[in-house]
Amino acid sequence: MHVVVCIKQVPDTTNVRINPKTNTLMREGVESIINPFDEYALEEGLKVKDSLGARLTVVTMGPPQATVILREALARGADDAVLVSSRAFGGADTLATSYTISMAIRKACGGKTPDLVLFGKQAIDGDTAQVGPGVSEFLDVPLVTYVQALRLTADGAYEVDSQMDDGLHVVQGKLPAVMTVVKEASTPRFASLAGWMKAAKAPITVLDEKAIEADPIRIGLKGSPTKVVTIFPPPVKGGGEKVDARENAADGVKAIVEFLEKKGLVK
Amino acid sequence: MSEVIKTDVLVIGAGPSGLATAISIARKAKAAGDEVPRVVVLDKGRSLGSHVLSGAIVDPSGFTGLLTDEEIEKIPCDAKCVKESFRFISSEKKSSKIPWVPPMMSSEGYPIVSLTKLVAYLGGIASKEGIEIYTGYAVTSLIEEDGRIVGARTGEKGLDKDGKKKSNYLPSEEIRAKVVVLAEGGAGILTEKLINEKNLKGVRPQTYAVGIKELIDVPAGTQTAGETMHTFGYPSDMGTYGGGFVYHVSETQVMVGYVYALDYRKAEKDPYRMFRQFKATAAVASHIKDGKSVAYGAKVIPEGGYYAVPKTYYPGCIIVGDGAGLLDSLRIKGVHISLQSGQAAATAILAELKDGKGLETYPELLKQTSGWKEMKRVRNVRASFSKGMPVGIMAAGLAWMTFGAFPFWRVGGCDEPDHEGLKKFDENAYKKEMASDVEASPVQPDRLTDVFMSGTNHEENQPCHIKIKNISKCAECKEKYGAPCMRFCPAEAYRYEEGNMQIDFSNCLHCKTCRIKCPMENIEWTFPQGGDGPRYTRM
Repeated sequence: MHVVVCIKQVPDTTNVRINPKTNTLMREGVESIINPFDEYALEEGLKVKDSLGARLTVVTMGPPQATVILREALARGADDAVLVSSRAFGGADTLATSYTISMAIRKACGGKTPDLVLFGKQAIDGDTAQVGPGVSEFLDVPLVTYVQALRLTADGAYEVDSQMDDGLHVVQGKLPAVMTVVKEASTPRFASLAGWMKAAKAPITVLDEKAIEADPIRIGLKGSPTKVVTIFPPPVKGGGEKVDARENAADGVKAIVEFLEKKGLVK
Repeated sequence: MSEVIKTDVLVIGAGPSGLATAISIARKAKAAGDEVPRVVVLDKGRSLGSHVLSGAIVDPSGFTGLLTDEEIEKIPCDAKCVKESFRFISSEKKSSKIPWVPPMMSSEGYPIVSLTKLVAYLGGIASKEGIEIYTGYAVTSLIEEDGRIVGARTGEKGLDKDGKKKSNYLPSEEIRAKVVVLAEGGAGILTEKLINEKNLKGVRPQTYAVGIKELIDVPAGTQTAGETMHTFGYPSDMGTYGGGFVYHVSETQVMVGYVYALDYRKAEKDPYRMFRQFKATAAVASHIKDGKSVAYGAKVIPEGGYYAVPKTYYPGCIIVGDGAGLLDSLRIKGVHISLQSGQAAATAILAELKDGKGLETYPELLKQTSGWKEMKRVRNVRASFSKGMPVGIMAAGLAWMTFGAFPFWRVGGCDEPDHEGLKKFDENAYKKEMASDVEASPVQPDRLTDVFMSGTNHEENQPCHIKIKNISKCAECKEKYGAPCMRFCPAEAYRYEEGNMQIDFSNCLHCKTCRIKCPMENIEWTFPQGGDGPRYTRM
């Protein structure tokens, strides 16, 4: 069985600021991390590797600095890593990115389609949740989104719990599949120091547009129908009403209940 | 059981001294035509530099012999110190310029840096030299066999608050090394343990100060890049060694810091409040006008100087940098001596790896550095300041004029550790302190906003890394000293209410003030999960 986990390097938004003039991220002093949702996808992939002996390949698209997150994935137990990187990919929207990644996955799997491709449900920088589904289209493989539990047997039969607005969907099927994973799936493991030491020396395959045999008009800015007209931060919400209950908790509770009653939220 | 990792050199701590040791080992080995030994550097911070903090105007003498001219040229620095002033602040409104300062105090032409960025830069150079650096791993114990340090162990990860293993539990890993370098920084836990257990103490106990710092954005066109100001006086009392700094690191950013000696006697004191009062003085306000605080941090500084330096060698192990108290206590500069100690260490380590001996020459090699000679020259300054600011200033001047010959005896003072000598809590004095609060503004955020800006974070579901040895002593302390931990902690980690000690360990900045100053010696600081703690990016 061959599992591919796609991960993305994102700015650590817990500490991010917006440039008030250009409305773009101020990246000075902001660390780059593995997109947190991708960590859950990676953990699901590692669990499949542990239980079924699958081969696990991690793929990322980005500048050369993105090798850091690939090494982190290797340190946690991935078998091999692929960096999809070229200036020609710059400015790609989700369509061009999905196309590029799908071509890279095919290339990395020797022209075949892997059994299972995992994504985080979305990236915390763009929040589009489109690349996982896009790749499933390009690979022509069934898609299951918002997976919070994956039960898989060696013959490729799976049952997953998928977190939907109307409740939990239990989906049964047979690989191949593309899945996007949510936070509730698992707690990501830590990389051991010994794991990091091996990962630091591990080779990383770099694929550019020629290596993946991409159609030049479908990659990068050229392959991106999305045009950014303007960027603006969401309007600042006014502060809520504050109830100071430090002195007297009972009064505080009373004030909150009265507030909710006024809104008709409790009777 | 996980495999044992073997290396030639294990460096604990990826700060300036640890990285200088590593870089210097690689470069000296190459220069001698030898193979570069395996050097592993571990740090508990999440990434390179996330746990370092300094002013910092760096005396460039530390780079000599370590970096190439081209590398020195490229040190991340937006401005060099072009205009420097020393001021005595007498009150909120008044201050006066010190008309003359000893030339040895001058920093003109020195780079003003963020130590975090400098460390990241040094880390890049080390990596290119083949040094292995791994961050996010706390080294929590040393391994000793037959009277020699032979390795160390990393901390476990993935324990829950009761100490039980979680699904992502990662066991401790063992690293065996021919040489272990302790480069933990000021008040290093393993370093202090070794010093105490092996009786490596210096002539005097180490004395510390807590340094509290903010990075403040200021509007373009209002300030001059490279302008710096050092102050002493208000809001410190005359009996305590304290002072502040204002460094215009670029045209739009100012580093503002306040340093307060932890041998202070008045239990009512709150260094963080004093930091705010310092920012509110007329002397400082003009430098941060219309500004906004954007980053925060705190760290202890070993100020004891020459007489407080411990024995820096134990079989299999040496101590470099702040962990050994290598700091010029007149200028409060230590980065350059740390870098020099790393270079001295490298020479001793390479000899040890070659012949199985030579590590013991490190203390002697250290004495030959210019930094050590500086420390010797100002050896009496810090103790003189413990007799009050005026005596200290006079002693500093005399020491300079006579190249350290006067006073020729060892000045008394600083003979007791910082946690001793605290006076009884004075309710009235405390009320007076509290009455003069500084108004909140973008340059005067409150303590918790500051803590947020430090980026500090700890996995909540893990054992609390700040341990109270005996809770009943806290009641006694509250009675006697008014629970000073609630004030000296720059991160508001302690709350003592009705016989209960509430510790918000996630706020912790790893500064170690509590371990040093708790008058009951009742706080034990242990390592939280590796990778947790502050996430300084511009400190």
